[in-house]
Amino acid sequence: MDACWILWVPCLPTLAAALIGGLHFLRLISGETDERLTARISVTAISFSALLALTALASTDSGSIADNLIYGTWLSSGHLNIGFSLRNSGFNVGLAALFSLLLLVVMRFSVNYLHREAGFHRFFFILNLFAAAMLLLVLSGNAVFTFIGWEVAGVCSYWLIAYAYDRPIAVHNATRAFVTNRVGDGGFLLGIALSLIWLESADWQVINQHAADLARGDANLLAWCFALAACAKSAQIPFTPWLARAMEGPTPSSAVFYGGVMIHAGVFLLIQLQALFNQAPLAMLLLAIVGGLTAVYGYWVGLSQTDIKSAQVYATSAQLGLMFLECGLGFWQLAGWHLCAHAVVRCYLLLTAPSILHATQCQAVRPVSPRWADCRWAFMVSLQRGWLEQALDWMLVKPIQQLAKDMRDIDERIIDPALGVPAPTIKAISSLAEWEERRMGANLDSDEDSFARGSGLAGKLAEWTAALMNWFEYRFILRGIGRDSISWGRRLGRRANRFEHLLLSPRYLVLFVLITLMVALGYAS
Amino acid sequence: MNTPAQNPKRQIVLDAIRHLDHVLPGQAPIHDFVHHNTLHGFQHLPFEQALAEFTALTGIDCYLPEAQFRQFHAQGRISDADIDAALNDYLADAGPVAASNGSDNAPTRRQFYRQALLSDLSPLNPAQLTWQLQESDLLQQPDARALWETVLDRLELTLPELHPEQLLDLSREQAETWLSNAGVSLPSARKDLELQAVRGLFDQVGDSLTLRGLLLALTGTDILENVRPRLIKLCASVLDEGQAAWRLPQRQTLGLYKAWRQTLPHDAEALFQDLTDWPQLVDALPEAAGDAIVQQLEMAGIPCERWAGYLERLALELPGWSGLLNWRQTHPDYSAEGQSQTLLADYLAIRLILDQACLQAFAKATWRCPMHIGKLQAYFEKNNAEVAVRHAVFGGQLPEYLQQAGQSLVADNPRDNRPWQVLTERIHTWQHSPLAGQTGGIHANTQGWQLFRLCRDLGLRAAELSQLPKAQLLNWLTLIEAFTPSHRQRVWLDAYERHYQQDLLQALHANHNRGRWAQRRQAPQAQIVFCMDDREEGIRRHLEELNPAVETLGAAGFFGVPMHYQGLDDAHATPLCPVVVTPSHTVREQSRPERALLLKRHKRRNSIKLALGRLIFHGLRRGVLSSAPLIGIAAPFTLAGLLLKSFTPKQQQRLLQQAGHTLGAQVETHLQFQAEHPAVPATPQNPRLGFTDSEQAERIAAFLKNTGLTYGFAEIVVLMGHGSMSQNNPHLAAYDCGACSGRHGGPNARLFAAMANRAEIRQLLLEHNIDIPEHTWFIGAEHNTCDEDITWYDSADIPAARLPAFQRFVAEMEHAQRMSAHERCRRLASAPRKPTPAQALRHFLNRAADFSQARPELGHATNAAALVGRRSLTQGAFFDRRLFLISYDPTQDPEGTILEGILLAVGPVGAGINLEYYFSTVNNERLGCGSKVPHNLTGFCAVMEGAGSDLRTGLPKQMIEIHEAMRLQIVVEAKTTVLEKIYNRQESLRELIGGGWVHLSSKDPDSGEIFVFRRASGFMPWQAADKPLPLRDNSPDCYREETLPVAPMLIKQPSFSGEPG
Ligand SMILES: [Zn+2]
Repeated sequence: MDACWILWVPCLPTLAAALIGGLHFLRLISGETDERLTARISVTAISFSALLALTALASTDSGSIADNLIYGTWLSSGHLNIGFSLRNSGFNVGLAALFSLLLLVVMRFSVNYLHREAGFHRFFFILNLFAAAMLLLVLSGNAVFTFIGWEVAGVCSYWLIAYAYDRPIAVHNATRAFVTNRVGDGGFLLGIALSLIWLESADWQVINQHAADLARGDANLLAWCFALAACAKSAQIPFTPWLARAMEGPTPSSAVFYGGVMIHAGVFLLIQLQALFNQAPLAMLLLAIVGGLTAVYGYWVGLSQTDIKSAQVYATSAQLGLMFLECGLGFWQLAGWHLCAHAVVRCYLLLTAPSILHATQCQAVRPVSPRWADCRWAFMVSLQRGWLEQALDWMLVKPIQQLAKDMRDIDERIIDPALGVPAPTIKAISSLAEWEERRMGANLDSDEDSFARGSGLAGKLAEWTAALMNWFEYRFILRGIGRDSISWGRRLGRRANRFEHLLLSPRYLVLFVLITLMVALGYAS
Repeated sequence: MNTPAQNPKRQIVLDAIRHLDHVLPGQAPIHDFVHHNTLHGFQHLPFEQALAEFTALTGIDCYLPEAQFRQFHAQGRISDADIDAALNDYLADAGPVAASNGSDNAPTRRQFYRQALLSDLSPLNPAQLTWQLQESDLLQQPDARALWETVLDRLELTLPELHPEQLLDLSREQAETWLSNAGVSLPSARKDLELQAVRGLFDQVGDSLTLRGLLLALTGTDILENVRPRLIKLCASVLDEGQAAWRLPQRQTLGLYKAWRQTLPHDAEALFQDLTDWPQLVDALPEAAGDAIVQQLEMAGIPCERWAGYLERLALELPGWSGLLNWRQTHPDYSAEGQSQTLLADYLAIRLILDQACLQAFAKATWRCPMHIGKLQAYFEKNNAEVAVRHAVFGGQLPEYLQQAGQSLVADNPRDNRPWQVLTERIHTWQHSPLAGQTGGIHANTQGWQLFRLCRDLGLRAAELSQLPKAQLLNWLTLIEAFTPSHRQRVWLDAYERHYQQDLLQALHANHNRGRWAQRRQAPQAQIVFCMDDREEGIRRHLEELNPAVETLGAAGFFGVPMHYQGLDDAHATPLCPVVVTPSHTVREQSRPERALLLKRHKRRNSIKLALGRLIFHGLRRGVLSSAPLIGIAAPFTLAGLLLKSFTPKQQQRLLQQAGHTLGAQVETHLQFQAEHPAVPATPQNPRLGFTDSEQAERIAAFLKNTGLTYGFAEIVVLMGHGSMSQNNPHLAAYDCGACSGRHGGPNARLFAAMANRAEIRQLLLEHNIDIPEHTWFIGAEHNTCDEDITWYDSADIPAARLPAFQRFVAEMEHAQRMSAHERCRRLASAPRKPTPAQALRHFLNRAADFSQARPELGHATNAAALVGRRSLTQGAFFDRRLFLISYDPTQDPEGTILEGILLAVGPVGAGINLEYYFSTVNNERLGCGSKVPHNLTGFCAVMEGAGSDLRTGLPKQMIEIHEAMRLQIVVEAKTTVLEKIYNRQESLRELIGGGWVHLSSKDPDSGEIFVFRRASGFMPWQAADKPLPLRDNSPDCYREETLPVAPMLIKQPSFSGEPG
């Protein structure tokens, strides 16, 4: 039976997003008066999506739909063939149905909650786009389109964490969360590339079916790539801290992204690839270890969280850790059910987060056992969140930042001047003081008689160049007004020194060693 | 250890901390939210001065923006007459001024000021001027063009036509002209100026800057970014009331500072932040927080006399957290946990230490100089070029090319003085170019533009202008400059308030002798006492319109019976009375004796309900392994619940309630309020269970006398407390009854009715000259102001003979509930337009149960005036739910003793509500708590934005959107002589009224003459304007089709036999 209409499940929110985005961009809808229109478009689109997904789910159970629906070829080159197809297995459709229902609830919630917010239309545009991305992600039969959904959902999450973009903290946290997630993308892309190279297809079905044909090592590597992506998306150790930073957005977006829907994408990916993982015992082991660690970490840190959103977020990562553990131990079915149940419950808990005060009538949560309560080191680990983020910053981010800064310095100091700074116009002056000096005949540049000096090889080189230039300028161009080139040469000398100094600093030595090693390896293979 | 007396330095610190109580927000934990004056610490000053001082201290503007006032003027919400009157008052205050102009036909100062209010005369920057000249059509008309040319001509100005990039290479000519304009330009003279700037900057430390602020100004780096997360986690851990399972070890025994010190060996943050000196810093820390503050301040080299200022500034950098810590410190009885009470000193010490660690590391890395204010100043006096560049770069006034150069220089941070010098020269050059926003001299974009706008708006022509000398034109501008923005805003506010005041007084004047029940010649059919709350004005009006034979009254919603109340399901007793009162009595709700079995089931149901709540909201985040199966079980129900809640919230709520009923029904209860041991004295320190008979009689009598309900009792007398129920709303308490400390007032109404129904009490009341007839029955009830629901208490006790009257009254109330909902719909954008009353009520039932509603109701958003007097003053006119109505009968109180009591209670409560709304509205970002959307409940005691911000105090945006920010108009029905005596007797009223925090007017009970109180001259007679008020058939006719505030109108009064015409 033909069931092409499943395509509409991700398409309807896409159309809604395009419509709202387009109308808002053209200033045809804006402000409070058009809120109703935006809300109606969004809720209608996602309602129909949910209905269709539920229908599809009912039909899958009765076995009336084919397992994979192929809509066409996206890219075809030689052996490579990437088709656009949607999957119809029970798990994918079931998840699509569940997610679309949660998205429907959150859209309805946001209509009232964001009433009169300046970013109302923007919010709904992003939410629709996100809905489309997530539904594509869970339904796509091909890794490439799953990845597209994966990325778009990530970008939407970035936009909504930075929803209040006038608050620097929100923007900063959004960027942190976004950048952390890009590490996982690397894994995903590499996974796609490897499966295209080894299996000549990025179809989930093909990957799963042919996983058994792969060499053990290859299967492990492929599984690791996707596991990395899953770990980053589902905030497993060491990526967990980005989740806590994501709590800057409006309550409904926190609920749907980090409680209900997006945060489970990693677990979904694992379950999707269970056949592959079953061939990759090392990757399974990794999943179990990471999941177990995350569960412990989430629990430990969660104990000392005093604000409701952070507390929920750490509980979320602990549960996700359990799901990873279940996957790692091979309880795929259990992980699938756990995912669905957790998505619903956590979405509810985050949507109703503001009511905890009255729902519990201010009753305190059960305190930790007295044995631990006064244990200071354990408390500090919990309060300061295990220093996971700081440690990563210290080990990775800071050196990279320093590297980037050095690169910029090199650009600014060596490359830019070498590629032609305009020679100063002869008669013009760049500041009043300079003019005054000239007028009074003061000679501040008296020290310039000692000619540009550098040390070391690069320094000498610069010195000679400057001398040559100076001679050239003096002889043929300026006829006696060579001051500028002298100072220029002097500057060049100083910069060359600095460059040499930079090259000798440890991080560059390490970098050089690394590059050399990589080149050697490249040739060896 | 030293005692404070032995240690003068520590005494300075302690005194400074005590003073902080005046400047920090005074908001209680959020579940105890009670409205109060946001600027409570400045209330001893006159309003305008308080606002000015607060703005000077915090930089927070406390008036609506001028643009907003101009918009009101355009909308007719402020008339020309209002502006003139307000300006007259202002000029009278300012005193006579020397003649400002030469010729006779030139505009007067009044006209100038008026124009300064009406037009935006702020100077432009050069780029804006260019835009105005080239892009806007303002200068396209020939008249305007001519005027502009004339202005330029008269002021001898030329237009700058330059692009910033051109400054990179100047021509000789340019340089010469600019230098001749500039006063000082020689490098040596400039060095002096720069030195002065350095000293000026360092002098600000301890006054308007902390060291963090200094660093921010010089490097653009905010060390608070590093300090804040650590500090906030720590404070939250200490202040938390039960959200976290694990909190700072030994905080109760050691206090915040000492407990924190104990954790330092395990604190690895310092390691990761590369704080090299951290171990030495920690080793040197003293035992006590006060000493640590002294040590840190000395280490930073801050002179003693600036400590107080420095600590104040430090506390104000995170006012929310400092404020809550201070609140806990000043309320030591609040929780059993807060045994160590030096929270604020602990907090400031920790903040200083963390600051110091970051500052030291930063200063050493940047300048190789310790973060000691003296040493740093010396360093910068030597490197004055560097400080000039840094100041300019992070002051954010530079054009792009200089900004870039500056930033790369700062990033490079050379120790050599020369590059700094070069860049200072370039900056200096730019500052002298016509492109910079200059400070001195006359320029086209500043004076030129201002004069042009002024002349154009005053309607002066180019020809007239060309006759006038330059000096006089400049004189005009000086004159206008003297009328500063804050003074203009003050005049605007006066005008805005005057507009409403005139409308209000006009309506009271027109309504004179139209209202019913000034005297009860015969008993009404029913009487109902509401809370004075502005939200009850509508429902009262609709009830009276339906049945003119019903009398409504208003009083503070604790009905004169302050108590500690413990409901059947409450774990402990809570005070139900205004915050300033501490009750001496406890009252418990108990099940009726014959219902023992039901009670058992009820208790069981309740504990199950609570356990479920805890399981879902605490359990599912507290455990990991335990919650996994729970999540699995809960998921199907949750999904069904979520879908139902989203689409039919009310039905979902009912379903839940029904499920609750199957576990155990609501049990019938009564109040236990009879004193069992009358001999035990009742004091605030040791509250006694129950009231004695005479105590009961006293309270009833006092309340009846206050409201004037001492005769003419109806068959049914209802006392209607109120509260508000809504979902997903941390600010819930802010919608409840302010007279009951932000809680529901139903129990007070119920208690009052139960007392007043006792035959013994009625007997005792005779001694107070109050004769309650036997057929009168009191009934307590509670009105839910969100969904209009009414709970009737103890209706089972109503004698059979009273039942028909009661049932008729309930039916009438049902009509009033529907109409009240109908009236409220018009102000809510998401409510149905043109609903039927039944639809309107349905909407509110759903709205209150809807967990996505950020505006379940609008709270006191419409409050504007308080009326103390008989209902006959206001009954018959439509006041749009803007009045607090307090019943008071001046004919029974010739001396004003009752009035004095009422004003002492109502003044602060009304002003508190009104001023909190005022400040939250004028500056919602800084004085309110912003939008609810990103709020995150923290520690059960406050909200943050996101996961690590300052605590947000004040009202959320969703509560104040439609509020009109004006001070409360109090109108009292009394003789001015009586009021004057009270005013002179009562210091607290003088502070409020004489300080201008509220406006006072009076209406003479006999003649109906109206007087307005002026701060300078006392009561002045008020003249009614000769214009008739619109007369409408009924309330809905007054508000139909309107979504904005509606001015008062008259409503046709039915001819009613029981009353004089
Ligand atoms: Zn009240």
